[in-house]
Amino acid sequence: MTTLPVDNPMNVDESPDTRAPLIIGHESFDTVTAEICRVNEAKKPPRAWYIAMAMSVSLLGLLGCMVGYLIFTGVGVWGNNNPVMWGFPIVNFVFWVGIGHAGTLISAILFLFRQKWRTSINRFAEAMTIFAVICAGLFPGIHIGRVWLAYWLFPIPNQMDMWPQFRSPLLWDVFAVSTYFTVSLLFWYVGLIPDLATLRDRATSKIKAFSYGLFSLGWRGSMRHWHRYERAYLLLAALATPLVLSVHSVVSFDFAVSQLPGWHTTIFPPYFVAGAIFSGFAMVLTLAIPARELWGLKNFITLRHLENMAKIVLLTGSMVGYAYGMEFFIAWYSGELYESFAFVNRAFGQYAWAYWIMVSCNVITPQIFWFKACRRNIWVLFVASLFVNIGMWFERFVITVTSLAQDFLPSSWGWYEPTWVDFVTFLGSFGLFMTLFLLFIRYLPVLAIAEIKAIMPAADPHAHDHDEEAHE
Amino acid sequence: MSSLNGNGRPTGRTYWRSLNEVADTPEFRTFMHREFPSGATELLDGTDRRGFLKIMGASMALAGAGLTGCRRWPEQHIAPFASRPDGTVPGQAQQYASIVELGGIATGILATTHDGRPTKLEGNPDHPGSGGALNAHQQAMVLDLYDPDRSRGVLEHPGDAAKAAAREWADFEQWWGTHADSLGTGKGLWFVSEPTGSPSVRRMQRVIRRRFPDATWVNWDPTASAEKAGLDAAMGGDLRPVYDLSKADVIVSLDSDFLCSHGDALNLSRQWATRRTPDNMNRLLVAEPGLSLTGANADDRWAMRSADVAVIAAHLAAVFTGDGSIERALSPEAQAAADAMAAQLRNANGRSVVIAGRSQSAAVHHHVAIINEAMGNTGSTVSYVRVSEAEMATADLKAFATAAANGSVNTAVLIGVNPVYDAPADLGFAAALGKVANRISLSSHVDETSRACTMHLPKAHALECWGDGVAWDGTVSVQQPMILPLYGGRSIIELLAVMAGEADTAGFDITRRTFEELTGKAMTPAGETPGYDADWRRALHAGVIEGTSATAETPPVRRTVAPLPIEDGGIEVNFTPSYAIGDGRFANNGWLQEFPDPITKLTWDNAVLMHADDAAEAGVSDGDIVRVTVGGTSVEGPAIVQPGQAKSTVSIALGWGRTFPGRVSTGAGFDAYPLRASNAMWTRTGASVSGTGESMELARTQDHFAIDSIGGQGTQERLPVLFREGSVDTWKKDHAFAQHMGHSMGRLSLWQEQQFDGADYAWGMSIDLSKCIGCGDCVIACQAENNIPVVGKHQVIMGREMHWLRIDRYYRFASDGHGHYDTSNPSTVAMQPMMCQQCENAPCEQVCPVAATVHTTDGLNAMVYNRCVGTRYCSNNCPYKVRRFNYFDYFRRDPMRDTGMLQVQPDYYVRRQSGGDPLRRMQFNPDVSVRMRGVMEKCTWCTQRIEAAKIDARNAWVKLPEAEKAQAKRVVIPDGTIVPACAQTCATDAIVFGDLMDPESQVSKLHRDDLSYGLLEELNVKPRNKFLARVTNPTDGERYPHDHGGHGHGHGSHGDHGHTEAAH
Repeated sequence: MTTLPVDNPMNVDESPDTRAPLIIGHESFDTVTAEICRVNEAKKPPRAWYIAMAMSVSLLGLLGCMVGYLIFTGVGVWGNNNPVMWGFPIVNFVFWVGIGHAGTLISAILFLFRQKWRTSINRFAEAMTIFAVICAGLFPGIHIGRVWLAYWLFPIPNQMDMWPQFRSPLLWDVFAVSTYFTVSLLFWYVGLIPDLATLRDRATSKIKAFSYGLFSLGWRGSMRHWHRYERAYLLLAALATPLVLSVHSVVSFDFAVSQLPGWHTTIFPPYFVAGAIFSGFAMVLTLAIPARELWGLKNFITLRHLENMAKIVLLTGSMVGYAYGMEFFIAWYSGELYESFAFVNRAFGQYAWAYWIMVSCNVITPQIFWFKACRRNIWVLFVASLFVNIGMWFERFVITVTSLAQDFLPSSWGWYEPTWVDFVTFLGSFGLFMTLFLLFIRYLPVLAIAEIKAIMPAADPHAHDHDEEAHE
Repeated sequence: MSSLNGNGRPTGRTYWRSLNEVADTPEFRTFMHREFPSGATELLDGTDRRGFLKIMGASMALAGAGLTGCRRWPEQHIAPFASRPDGTVPGQAQQYASIVELGGIATGILATTHDGRPTKLEGNPDHPGSGGALNAHQQAMVLDLYDPDRSRGVLEHPGDAAKAAAREWADFEQWWGTHADSLGTGKGLWFVSEPTGSPSVRRMQRVIRRRFPDATWVNWDPTASAEKAGLDAAMGGDLRPVYDLSKADVIVSLDSDFLCSHGDALNLSRQWATRRTPDNMNRLLVAEPGLSLTGANADDRWAMRSADVAVIAAHLAAVFTGDGSIERALSPEAQAAADAMAAQLRNANGRSVVIAGRSQSAAVHHHVAIINEAMGNTGSTVSYVRVSEAEMATADLKAFATAAANGSVNTAVLIGVNPVYDAPADLGFAAALGKVANRISLSSHVDETSRACTMHLPKAHALECWGDGVAWDGTVSVQQPMILPLYGGRSIIELLAVMAGEADTAGFDITRRTFEELTGKAMTPAGETPGYDADWRRALHAGVIEGTSATAETPPVRRTVAPLPIEDGGIEVNFTPSYAIGDGRFANNGWLQEFPDPITKLTWDNAVLMHADDAAEAGVSDGDIVRVTVGGTSVEGPAIVQPGQAKSTVSIALGWGRTFPGRVSTGAGFDAYPLRASNAMWTRTGASVSGTGESMELARTQDHFAIDSIGGQGTQERLPVLFREGSVDTWKKDHAFAQHMGHSMGRLSLWQEQQFDGADYAWGMSIDLSKCIGCGDCVIACQAENNIPVVGKHQVIMGREMHWLRIDRYYRFASDGHGHYDTSNPSTVAMQPMMCQQCENAPCEQVCPVAATVHTTDGLNAMVYNRCVGTRYCSNNCPYKVRRFNYFDYFRRDPMRDTGMLQVQPDYYVRRQSGGDPLRRMQFNPDVSVRMRGVMEKCTWCTQRIEAAKIDARNAWVKLPEAEKAQAKRVVIPDGTIVPACAQTCATDAIVFGDLMDPESQVSKLHRDDLSYGLLEELNVKPRNKFLARVTNPTDGERYPHDHGGHGHGHGSHGDHGHTEAAH
């Protein structure tokens, strides 16, 4: 086996006789550890990190200002109005929850299906999930009218003897999102333990050694540790798998359980899950492409990984497109006055521009991935992933706003216009996300070191035989 | 009251002896001086709770023996709140009868006062002008009382910052004392007054005339009708037509908005509505230039120029008298209307009536009198009463302006008028007034006219002073105060008494003396407790003085008529008093500024209403600023393309664009008065309209989309289901036609629905769409009752108005069958009051995560403000969109302040804006929580009233003998005991509330009616409110757009919705 140049098609093309390697450029476990830990152990991160961090922290600061202004002034600082009681905050919430979907899918479902290529992307996809869910959780929290009473949404025993109202999908949401967050965090953390121990062992300063040591929970790499660890990981994967489907289904219930034309549809749960995976993978692409350039991780996140993700984007994008079409069909087929109006209005009414942005980004854009050349072109992948992110944000905007703006009684129809606070808050949530993500890259192993080692030929007792056969 | 000014002015009569004794103590003087008029500023700047209670405690103690609630009642003691006056329970509201006067017509009110502060005005059912109802303006007057912008005292040179000086009433009295002597017989002394029927004012006029025989009196009302002149020409004298529309089968309105903008509109709409039952329905035919509320409720309506309407009057008069000399050539539009009207009237001799509008000329009113006489209607549907408004009125405003310009006016006393703002432009009023040496203005605000005067006197609010007034039919009522003048204002009669040099200048004395003259009852002899004689008490209690209504007359009508004025071509400009703010006097009233115009649904602005073709010609659409030019004068304002507007006409509401610095009025609308001419007050022809290229955002509460868009088409498609209507013919064929217009699916539910086991009551409501005229009086009633905040223009533009009750107004347009609608002329205008429908299976309750909205066993969808965290999910899931969210602390924001990007001003955070003002807070109904920001709110069917009635009923039940208690299954509240604020003020009784558990209650019967349908009941929400489908009576039988599809359905608007059949 020779060292292949990065982005060599050899890594991408499967030939019947040779299985393409999952990572390239490494012969020994040692180089893998060194290369991944280099990101964390560098004296100074690259200049780009500083620039990105400065921008992210500024945006985070803006977010703080906006939230403070909001809490001291009232929800009226946003553009929400009477028919459109939910605007940007809920759109952003669903957007971020959707993004937070891919991580657990990659780590749990692909893990259970033994999709070994996942090891190169699962760590930061999971991190992305957690940070996205933090952003998502922010919005419903600050979106309510009396933020200081948000804890009433939790079933906390209290002197009022009041429970939350369990029929409300918003309450289900609280449970679904908080469970999802907890399990994702646990899953991520459990996966991190061996790698934290690695960083601990390599630490050059006492502070590092102490902090990594604290969080590595005394990991020594014994057989028993590995045994328990893998059991726990498997169990968590099994636990997380239904959550991947449930969390966005429950988020979709916020809409589907209501009786608003355009919201009240049974297709929502699968449609939302597909859309979430779609947007999650797009976000992984958006983050992975620059990250592998900046930190030289091309050997681990190879073109093959990107191509695989592009295929999933194509698949889920088409599912989403199907759902769009099916919604229209059902609206027409039902003959329901309000329902059919809601959809005609979506496509041709006052918010038609948003609808067509959504369709062109989510349905038309992924179709380019039918072509190999597009799947393998970094720039095309990056731009397309951005489009999908935009499109999926607009999907949530279209669903939330157009249905609310024009529902049953024409007298109450309205027009929603976000204010500058809406925009800055949304932008600020990217600041929160990116700040957390940049900190993660700097201080935690971005790739699952231990897991990658497990998929290397060196870890395969029969690998050598294969190699020999190939060379014969 | 006199003692309160602290100037030691002697007050004459014995009534005041006791109060004086108290008042003369230094402590009391200090107290009063600090707390009342001059101390009123303290009310505004952070009065603490203690101070506030002190004021209210004093007001309560002064409120007297529970008869009148008047703080100027001759009471013996200034007692602490702890020893309460007889008959009052602290915290329990009292209602006192009084009147409010608008345009010289008094309407009886019952003022609700809570511990001495008036909070709500309702109609006095015993008063002939009210019958229990009040219109939006009259109800909103209670908010004017607490207007922080009211003038705070006597001011010299208020309009001149350099010379302006605060004075006391005593200073004015002293000055007048010397000045009056210099006036001699009163030559050069002019009074310009708002019209009033008050007998006391007339009596004071006589006194004034005795002192100043050569003084001149002018009555000025910018919205006066030419009717009086017309009837004077027709029959001679000061006549007023009194209609009985309940006897009329056919009503023809010639540009008359008698259902809303009429001195007797409450009565007229009630009478009209008694005949809006399908088995005995009247027929209303309307010809008018702009779409009025009356036009919107017409069975047949023709849009045409005002001049063409006049010609119809002449034509009908010629037809019915056979006198061809009256006939005038009809335009094609007018011909169709005239023929239809003639045909209808011909069959209804003595059972019809023709009414001409205030904007028609005197000649038209004369014609109409002729028609009514010729048709035999006089004495049946219309008769006349003689009511003189002002005995002294000897000149008009034009004469005053001419005299003033000549320099022959020495002293002008302007009483409750604002001609600098609202006089016709050709009078050059402001300039003429400037030539008068002494200009005195009595007004509630330092308004445009006061600013142009040398002396401003604060006018007392109707709820602050004694007085009297005359209803439309001549009935006299006494006006009694509810509260001491907050700002030391005085009433007209008090000012006139001072000017006449009377000994009695207290309003109570003057009013009481007038009462004695009117009734011939002698005054209480000296030495006895004053003011307690039975007649006076009865008059105060009932709100009317018995036996004072004028005698109906039917004087013969002269058949020689003055010719109709000749009209120019060009665009015709029609002026209308604003539905929201009248002639402009209510411009600083937040409730009314935010009151959606019943037709345009515009708030905070007026607009130039245009026909679609005219708008297209000028190249403008809704919100574009247009310039309207007549005779060299032009005004600029936003255009609205108004369905139903006659071609080549524009309509503009008056009263907007006030320039005095009111915190509410500033920046609202544009002033159309400059376009008026003294010889063309209501209609000007030869105008031109052009676009200016600019545009502005209009704060409309409905129609946030173009009528011809997808939304407009969608609206037309669903209207037949939402607003069910049919003609009398349809109803005759099938009484249950409304049941076939929608479809209800099976009543399956995913969970066990709300159970009403053990309920004692099942509250329900019924709204009769045939009777509802869409006037919106209920909107203001609701606002006053439920402490609903005013949000301001910007917030309305954002779609955040807070009205719990709104009137949905839809136009139905004729379709060409291919989805294209003729949007210039609606075939019907639908008015649908919409508030919480109190769904039994309420979608809002199911989605609230914190159980802040829950069901009561009585069937009310209760909103628990304390529990609400504001997720707003309930509103999203409400199919009626009747829930309202407090995006800010609206109750304490200044609505019209420029808030810019931040949407609030810094003082918002320290509660310094108007709602935080203790004075403004005095209006709040203590029985209803004031909602903070972040909380959802909605109609509760006035749950506070329901609970009050339940408590009363249970208290009565407890006192029953045990045997009776055991027999009664539940505590019955008699039908009609509970009346929500909206139903209470509805003149047409369109809203009925009651207990559905009682099968004999009115609401139960109405719910069983064939016409009764639940809006959106196909959603299985089970609304407790049901609408009675509208039945109309058009001349061509069936006129609904969907009837012309030729699909053979017999039903009015059965429509082309195939699925509607599925339900059967």
